[in-house]
Amino acid sequence: MDLKEIQSLIKFVAKSGASEVKLEMEDVKITIKTGSGDYKGETTTVVQQIPMAGIPQQQAQAPAAQPAAPAASETPAPAANDDSKYITIKSPIIGTFYRKPSPDKPAFVEVGASISEGSVLCVIEAMKLFNEIESEVSGKIVKVLVDDASPVEFDQPLFLVDPS
Amino acid sequence: MKIIKLDAIDSTNSYVRQLSLHEKLVDFTIVTAAAQTSGRGQMGTTWNTEKGKNLTFSVFKKVSCLENEEQFYISMATSLAIYNALKHFQIPKLAIKWPNDILAENKKICGILIENVIQNSKMTAAIIGIGLNVNQTDFDTLLNASSLKKITGIHYDLDEVLFQVAAQLEKYARLITERSLEQLKMEYELLLFRKDKPSTFEDTDGNLFMGFIQGVADDGKLHVLLEDEIVKAFDLKEIKLKY
Repeated sequence: MDLKEIQSLIKFVAKSGASEVKLEMEDVKITIKTGSGDYKGETTTVVQQIPMAGIPQQQAQAPAAQPAAPAASETPAPAANDDSKYITIKSPIIGTFYRKPSPDKPAFVEVGASISEGSVLCVIEAMKLFNEIESEVSGKIVKVLVDDASPVEFDQPLFLVDPS
Repeated sequence: MKIIKLDAIDSTNSYVRQLSLHEKLVDFTIVTAAAQTSGRGQMGTTWNTEKGKNLTFSVFKKVSCLENEEQFYISMATSLAIYNALKHFQIPKLAIKWPNDILAENKKICGILIENVIQNSKMTAAIIGIGLNVNQTDFDTLLNASSLKKITGIHYDLDEVLFQVAAQLEKYARLITERSLEQLKMEYELLLFRKDKPSTFEDTDGNLFMGFIQGVADDGKLHVLLEDEIVKAFDLKEIKLKY
């Protein structure tokens, strides 16, 4: 992500009226906070580089296989290998992704939760139709890839599940 | 058709969902409740009614013949069923406000909450929740709400209304099973509120613009004719009809 893209993102968020937006991609984590009330229009942006080796789930999954502290440029490769043994649960429809049955309720699943076939993972809303997405696999949630209440595309990865 | 009548429950939709997880539910099982302690509307909103005066019920309908992109036909079928049931009771000035509010004399008298079950990326069942205002006449702060009794002055037998709605739902569900989707859409579009009338809409930035509702796309988006003969499809979150 270059500076220009970040700038236009800040503008977009400020215009949207959202008070806070968190965006997490492969190597960048961005938090944009817009001031409310008196400070309307003012935005605070935090851009953070995530050290690849520091992702806790990946370390926990394959501690023995990791060579001791390889050079930073080599780390993405083993990370990709790690993810490949996980099953990706994808969105069957276009819509808005919800992790909770309603705003005041706890999420259907959290990272680390054990799920079985038929467990409800999330709700995806499209045109006022609320779709409860059931798991097709048993395992453990390794990662939630989409933030609550954000739009999702067809086939967009939603969860990583460790089937072992 | 199997009807389960409850005196009070948190939400009939939640109850049906729980039942469906633990036992094989008969297709077209209906659960009614005289009172809902936490009746739900759209994501986080609530549906409150006076006990015993209105209909709040959920229908469990197996659906295996629709693609995920065709889900909106369930919304159309439900709206049409309620519209026609109310027409039977000669409720005046009925219309379907896109996507699925039922209006009488421009006021909302019915809310629909549809929750689908997706297994192996395929839709397997729909839980259709219906809240129909029947004999309640006091809506204090809700200016846009009304009921059958408030409109006609007549007191209705709740079971009779339920029976009509259920019968119509069965009829329209059959159209889905037979995949008479074109017919569903045609009927739905005919009854759309403010169809082909000059209407004012508000976009997400608060700008007002004029257009004519023409119909809906297969995925439920609203087709609006704008200036210069351009027809644009709008998502639910992109547009708000002012009325």
